[in-house]
Amino acid sequence: MELQLQHLCKQYGSKCAVDDISVNLVPGVYGLLGANGAGKTTLMRMICGILKPTSGSIRLNGKTMQELGEQYYTHLGYMPQDFGFYPDFTAREFMLYMAAVKGLSSKEARTKTEKLLDMVNLHDMADKKIKSYSGGMKQRLGIAQTELNDPSILILDEPTAGLDPKERVRFRNIISDFAKEKIVILSTHIVSDVSYIADAILMMKQGRFLLQEPMSTVTDGIRGKVWEVLVDDRRADEYSRRFCVVNLHHENNKVRLRIVNEAAPAADAYTVEPSLEDLFLYHFGEEVQNERGGYDENAG
Amino acid sequence: MKTLVKYEFLKILRKKSTFIVMTVSLLLTVFLFGLPILQYQTYNADGVIKGLDGIAYTKEQYSQISVPLTDEYISETIREVQELFENPDNVGFDGTDQFLIGDAYWNDIAPREELLKTIASTYAAPGVTAWYSSLPDVDIANGANFYQAREEKIAALLNDSSRGLSDEQKEYWQNMNSQVETPFQYGYYEGWLTINTCFELLMFAIVAVCIVLAPVFSGEYQAGTDAVILSGKYGKTKLTTAKIIASYLFGLLAFTIHILVAFGLPLAAFGVDGWNLPMQIAGTSIPYPFTFLQGILVNLGVIYFVLFAMIGLTLVLSSKMRSPYLVLIVLVPVLFIPMFLSANGTTGVYNLTLFLLPYYAVQPQFGSYISYQLGSLVLDAFSTRTILYAVLTVCMLPLAKLGFKKHQVL
Repeated sequence: MELQLQHLCKQYGSKCAVDDISVNLVPGVYGLLGANGAGKTTLMRMICGILKPTSGSIRLNGKTMQELGEQYYTHLGYMPQDFGFYPDFTAREFMLYMAAVKGLSSKEARTKTEKLLDMVNLHDMADKKIKSYSGGMKQRLGIAQTELNDPSILILDEPTAGLDPKERVRFRNIISDFAKEKIVILSTHIVSDVSYIADAILMMKQGRFLLQEPMSTVTDGIRGKVWEVLVDDRRADEYSRRFCVVNLHHENNKVRLRIVNEAAPAADAYTVEPSLEDLFLYHFGEEVQNERGGYDENAG
Repeated sequence: MKTLVKYEFLKILRKKSTFIVMTVSLLLTVFLFGLPILQYQTYNADGVIKGLDGIAYTKEQYSQISVPLTDEYISETIREVQELFENPDNVGFDGTDQFLIGDAYWNDIAPREELLKTIASTYAAPGVTAWYSSLPDVDIANGANFYQAREEKIAALLNDSSRGLSDEQKEYWQNMNSQVETPFQYGYYEGWLTINTCFELLMFAIVAVCIVLAPVFSGEYQAGTDAVILSGKYGKTKLTTAKIIASYLFGLLAFTIHILVAFGLPLAAFGVDGWNLPMQIAGTSIPYPFTFLQGILVNLGVIYFVLFAMIGLTLVLSSKMRSPYLVLIVLVPVLFIPMFLSANGTTGVYNLTLFLLPYYAVQPQFGSYISYQLGSLVLDAFSTRTILYAVLTVCMLPLAKLGFKKHQVL
């Protein structure tokens, strides 16, 4: 099983949402990271065949989407971000409907529906209308429908957004269960979710892949660039303005700062083991800081 | 496919908006088609008789005149009226017209005033409405020659230069008219007449169906469900067909319920009497050789085609637009703007186009001699409307399918 994206581009007027993306994906869990507007959702929609690329091609085992036709979609399971449900359907009806859309026979649909509703712990609520469901229950139903056709490509766009920590853990476990022998593309801005289950990281910025690395080596590039320093309370603000501070911890009258920066932010700063979150902020700190209020661009 | 159609149908049916729109529309239909019953009134020497009592009284009056309108019967009827006018004690004068008063009116005219109007109008010039008071002017010295007078009136009507009918069109109408059987059987037909005059009110039911179906595709875009269903195996193929089938099933069912209510009310109140009577007794120059039931069914058939085309248009717009409200913003004017346009004749591009627009297309206009000519082929309004709306329906469906298939989830 190989999914090849070749020189994939999507242009909206003069704006390039996805810019010449090429990658070969084999079974495994891929964490797709990027700031808002990086092009993650656009890329996933193109892979799902619901958004036409401006140029480039998507091939599954060497055949283009067009060549495969309906067959391509039998390999897909997709859970979009914020997707609507049919509030007047029960979970069981929704699953049976989606099974019909995915081309399952009635018998298959019934068997799969019961099994999956059980897996995502919605069996007892299966005959309740979806409008009575909580956000977490809807998300679980959303992931359950992706599995109906036993897809070999699973695409999950921000599946844990809006969930409380307990639901997120439950959700991560469900994804892990579903991920065996599949190409799973998991887009999220909750970096910790990815760090637990991803085999590789695809990081996007301004429509391009910034890096494509296995999880085991993904942070190697910033080794020696993640610092901790203990500063006075009153100096913490100044550090926050000047550097990309990824964590801040008060200890007595001092503050321990975790900073991602090329050079030591202070003479007494010392390097620490980098995490995926550090990596994310190393590349997207500017966007994140801009949202927060900005830091000194000349600092790094 | 059956499962997909079932769930698409359920999607339409289970929406709260569907229930609200259909309830309001049915109540409106009950009100509009019930109004002629509530407002029905007739008169006798004692005064006004309203509602169901009035209907029963009228029916009773008609039982006396449910006869074949032979020349002899018409001569006799005209003679009776003329004799009444010969007695000055029976005659009133309002400064313009003479009319009968007292017992002469209440006993001899009132019970058959509609029949007398039908007879008198046959002898009047085209476009002129005549009443029983014009019957004294009819020369019956050599018999009534009622059907000859009818033929002459139709000939005059067809040859009227303001109508601008071609020879082919005249021949078409003459041929059709030649199939009308004579003598006409007269009788009571109030229920069918009420339906015939209320057809345009069914536009509200068509609009209601379109409102319910506006979200079939655009509702998916609006709710964000498009991404999931379009990435399914049948999302761009069988699902689209299922949506279209479910929409037509719903439209057919909902509209038929409206029809049953709309037709059921007047027929229950006025009775089904007259279903087999010729339409000519309501207007002798009508060229269609239909009974009332046939005429109503023919026009109902046309209305179903209008409905199908409007559902098709709704689905096309729905597949192209991202919100059901946008669909309605386009659709409602298409359906209702013609309401504010009026015809100034029965020929010319403007009038002929107007008669094909949905609001006019649901109105039968049996006596209007509206015809369309393509080369030597002449078609009456019913045939043209049927063909037009059938073609529109057939054209709309692939467009709706394509619109959804090509939809981009942005």
